[in-house]
Amino acid sequence: MSGLEPPFITIAEASRRIARRELSPVELTEAYLQRIAAVDDQLMSFVTLTAELARQRARAAEAEIMRDGPRSPLHGIAYCLKDIIETAGIRTTAQSRLLADHVPSKDAVVAQKLAAAGGILLGKTATWEFAHGGPSWDVLFPPARNPWNTDHHPAGSSSGSGAAVAAGLAPATIGSDTGGSIRGPAAACGIAGLKPTYGLVSRRGVLPNCFSHDHVGPLAWTSEDVAILLSIVAGHDPADPGSADVPAKDYTAGLDAGIAGLVVGVPWRWLEEEAPLTPETRSGFDAALEVFRGLGAEIRAVEPPPMQAFNDAKKIIAMAELYSIHEKDLKTRPELFGDSLRYRIIAGSLIRAEDYVQAMRVRRDLAIALQQIFATVDLMLLPTGEPAGKLEPVPHSSLFTGASYTTPFNVGGNPALSVCSGFAGNGMPQSLQIAGRLFEDAVVLRAGHAYEKATPWRDRRPVLNLQPQHTIA
Amino acid sequence: MSLEPATREEIAILARRAGLELTAEHFDQLCSAYEHLERMLGRIRRSRSYADEPAHVFTPTKFIPVE
Repeated sequence: MSGLEPPFITIAEASRRIARRELSPVELTEAYLQRIAAVDDQLMSFVTLTAELARQRARAAEAEIMRDGPRSPLHGIAYCLKDIIETAGIRTTAQSRLLADHVPSKDAVVAQKLAAAGGILLGKTATWEFAHGGPSWDVLFPPARNPWNTDHHPAGSSSGSGAAVAAGLAPATIGSDTGGSIRGPAAACGIAGLKPTYGLVSRRGVLPNCFSHDHVGPLAWTSEDVAILLSIVAGHDPADPGSADVPAKDYTAGLDAGIAGLVVGVPWRWLEEEAPLTPETRSGFDAALEVFRGLGAEIRAVEPPPMQAFNDAKKIIAMAELYSIHEKDLKTRPELFGDSLRYRIIAGSLIRAEDYVQAMRVRRDLAIALQQIFATVDLMLLPTGEPAGKLEPVPHSSLFTGASYTTPFNVGGNPALSVCSGFAGNGMPQSLQIAGRLFEDAVVLRAGHAYEKATPWRDRRPVLNLQPQHTIA
Repeated sequence: MSLEPATREEIAILARRAGLELTAEHFDQLCSAYEHLERMLGRIRRSRSYADEPAHVFTPTKFIPVE
C-alpha cells in the first residue's frame, strides 16, 4: 500500500492524476464510500455519512474538471469533518445528547473553504463530547476505535478523524486541538496531524472548547497532504477575534528544501525526569533523532519551563471558559451531559475571577519562555506521546493528572505537527512531534516531509477485515 | 499563603452561590474535580507586581464590525 491507489491514495497523488484526467472523482468517491461500508462498523469513525451529497458533488466536480481543469489541489477529492465543525443542513452534534437534533444553517469557515476548493464532503466524524469529554460510552454515539487494533483507542478528541484517514476511509480531514486533540489522534493512528499557529485557521463555526487555546487544523496520511490542506483552510478571518492577520501562503512551496542546517531542540528534562518515556518509546525517539542528524540537522538540549506549569495554566483557563460555554445547560439539563464532560467542567463554576487572571498571567510568562527557546532553535522535537493503549474507561480525572507533551504548544500558540515514527512491538504506531516558531508552519511541515521521505513508515497501512460488500444507498 | 483544601460543606456553599442545584452524584463529581482544581490553583499562586498583565489584554480593533 504505497499511497498510489484508491482508497489509499494520497491527496497529492490523486490531485496529479485528476489534473491529468487519469482519475475520476466519481470513482474515487465511490471507492471511499464502499470502504466505509466495508470496515467502518469496526471503527465507528463516522457519525453522519452524507453519501448521496458526496456522489452529487463528485459528479459536479468531475464535469467541471473535464471542462475547465481543477480549481485547487483538492478539487474532486474527498474529506471528512470532525463533528464539532458546523455544516449547513447537516447535523452537527459534538457527539452530545445536548445537540442530538442540531442542524446548523451555516457552514463553518473551514467547511466553506474546503467546499469552495471543490472538495467532496463524505460526512462527519466521531469526537469526544464537545471535544473534551471522552472516551465516553454514555453519549450520542459510541467511541471510535483504532484501525491498527480495534481493541485500542484512537486517542481524542479528533478520534474519528484520525481513524478514518488511517483506515483509508478519507484522505483528508479537519480536526481541532486545544491540548493535543489533533496530534494525539494523529499519533495514535499513525498519520500526520498539524496544530497550526494559533489564529492561522479560523475558528468561526467550530463549536468552542476553550477560546484561548482552540486551534483548527488538518490531518492526512502525509505531511505533504497536510500542507495542501493548510494552504486551503488558512487565512485571516476578520470575524474571528483570534484570527491572525497574516498573508495567505502556499504551505507546499519549499516542502522539498530539506532541513540541513536547522537547529533542533530536545526538552530532555520533560522526557527523562518529569514524564519519563518508556524504554521502547525512548528507543524509537532516539532513532528519529538519528534520522534528523542524518538529514543535516543539529540536535541540542533545551530547557523550557516544567510541563506541569503549562498544564496547570491551560487547565484552569480551560475549565473557566468551558464552564462559561456550558453553564446554562449544566444548570438546566445536566443529565444530558456525558459523565466525563460534566466531571471535567463542573469545577469551572468555582473558579474565581482572580484565579482566571492569575492563570492568564502564568500563561503569558510561559508563552514568553517558550518563544525565548525558539529564539535559539528552529524546531523542537519530542514524542507526541506513548502508543495508544486499550479502549477502556479511564478516570475522568486523568485529564487533570496526566502529563501532556502537547499542551505546551497550545499555551504558546506554536505550530506543532505529529508524524508517524515507527511501530511498537505490539504493532501500534509510534509518533514524533515537531514544533516550530510562531507562523513558521511551513518549516515544521518541511521537517515532517523530510523525515517521512527518509523513513519507510508511510508504506504501511492497518489491515482490517472486509465485511461482505454492500452498497451504501 | 497555602490554603487548606475546601471541605464538602464549603464546596456545597460555593456551589449554591454559583447557582448550582446538584444531585448527590453530581455533587460528588464536583468535590472530586475541585480537589484537583485546588491543587492546580495552589501551584500557580505567586506574588505579582502591579504591572503584571495577563495574556488576554483587550485589543479593541479585534471587535470592529465586519460587513
